[in-house]
Amino acid sequence: MSRASGPRSGDAIFASVERVNAELFTLTYGAIVRQLLTDLEEVEEVNKQLDQMGYNIGIRLIDEFLAKSNVSRCVDFKETADMIAKVGFKMFLGVTASVTNWDADGTCCSIVLEDNPLVDFVELPDTCQGLYYCNILSGVIRGALEMVSMKTEVTWTRDMLRGDDAFELQVKLLKQVPEEYPYKDDD
Amino acid sequence: MIVCVAVVGHQNNPLYIQSFTEADDALKLHHIVHCSLDVIDERVNNPKKSGPLLNETFLGLLYPTENYKVYGYLTNTKVKFILVTTDLDVKDADVRNFFRRFHAAYGDAVSNPFHVPGKKITSRTFAESVSTIVKAFGLSSAG
Amino acid sequence: MGREVSESCIDSLVTEMVFSFCNRFYADKSDLAARRIEAIGYQVGHQLSERYTMERPRFSDHLEAIKFICKDFWSEVFKKQIDNLKTNHRGTFVLQDNRFRWLSRMSVEPSLETGQEGENKATEAMSMHLYFPCGIIRGALSNLGIPCAVSADISNLPACSFVIRIKA
Repeated sequence: MSRASGPRSGDAIFASVERVNAELFTLTYGAIVRQLLTDLEEVEEVNKQLDQMGYNIGIRLIDEFLAKSNVSRCVDFKETADMIAKVGFKMFLGVTASVTNWDADGTCCSIVLEDNPLVDFVELPDTCQGLYYCNILSGVIRGALEMVSMKTEVTWTRDMLRGDDAFELQVKLLKQVPEEYPYKDDD
Repeated sequence: MIVCVAVVGHQNNPLYIQSFTEADDALKLHHIVHCSLDVIDERVNNPKKSGPLLNETFLGLLYPTENYKVYGYLTNTKVKFILVTTDLDVKDADVRNFFRRFHAAYGDAVSNPFHVPGKKITSRTFAESVSTIVKAFGLSSAG
Repeated sequence: MGREVSESCIDSLVTEMVFSFCNRFYADKSDLAARRIEAIGYQVGHQLSERYTMERPRFSDHLEAIKFICKDFWSEVFKKQIDNLKTNHRGTFVLQDNRFRWLSRMSVEPSLETGQEGENKATEAMSMHLYFPCGIIRGALSNLGIPCAVSADISNLPACSFVIRIKA
């Protein structure tokens, strides 16, 4: 489904977009998480709200992703997951993710992140052990995929803040709504 | 050898203190750190005494005791770093280098969103960085 | 040069943060939302000032610290310097950015309302947005030992002025 010129690489896009100091982004996210913990008290509720914020961001960010990556909407879930990991993460966060652990019918996979600017400087206090600190990311992915007609469930299976060796998000395709074109095919 | 490092807040509240000796001299080291705070305050409030180091974060040798040399550093955010060493022949550049790295580690520790300004630094990462920096002290120019 | 992220990341995050606090967590309690947004900025400014003042001599007076905010600090955060600095020499400083980045790039929520009501909403959203940079400035200065109050003035868009009143 790619246009003739083909999709651009994540590196090429990242090199061409306006970039800022990651510190500002990292510290802002950290301050938001801490404020939510103070205001909402329940860690579970903070997880939920971070996911919701991510979802809201994802449904808007998808347009920039499609426009800058020169990818037209991917039909295939497999291809889509690959684009998110290799192009999406790179063009926004400047890091590369990989896709692994495909299940037999190709509807569930893992996105693995070994480097993640959100957690620079972060150490979880003991009182926040149930917190999915990076939960905004799962929301972004869920939101973005929903805008290309893929309903997914995104869950953390590994978290470096909890002592794992990488961040791993399991993305499970629940339902793929056939794309509805706003116009009729003129065949 | 560095025997003690400390971070002290702007109201002279201790934020971090770690000694690196086997001997049971923690109390004595704490006392030395405590005394050095007065020296820093005096220096900063009487700029003439600090001479060429005016407004530099590195305050140099605060005072020598019989067994120790005590160095100080004052950040723009009014936080004091203290270094106590038993080395007699200390190179200025080594101490500066030590404080530069120490300040970077401190900056990362207070960038943790869960760190509360003015509260003690409990970060494991910070403790590990400090230990690495302390071990490396003086090694760069040893040859 | 340290680590970088795309500017869309910070823009999206700040926009969503302001939106969430105003419309979800503290809907109809805009003063509370404003205070939270300012507090988030304060923490960020407090942390950034520690990072950005490493390896530089201590400031000898308030003016030097304010100049640091106008030049180095602003450049790190907004990739340009403050265009104009004014002071009444009695503890009030006005920092004017002729084209404040976060306003020029701000995506106003697509809304069905148009006309006067839509315009009011846009101005309100903008002023909620500004609590964040005001908090950043206050946090940075307070960490440098300068307690102050900071407000923003957008009567001259796209210019934005930040008014710093140092507390005696």
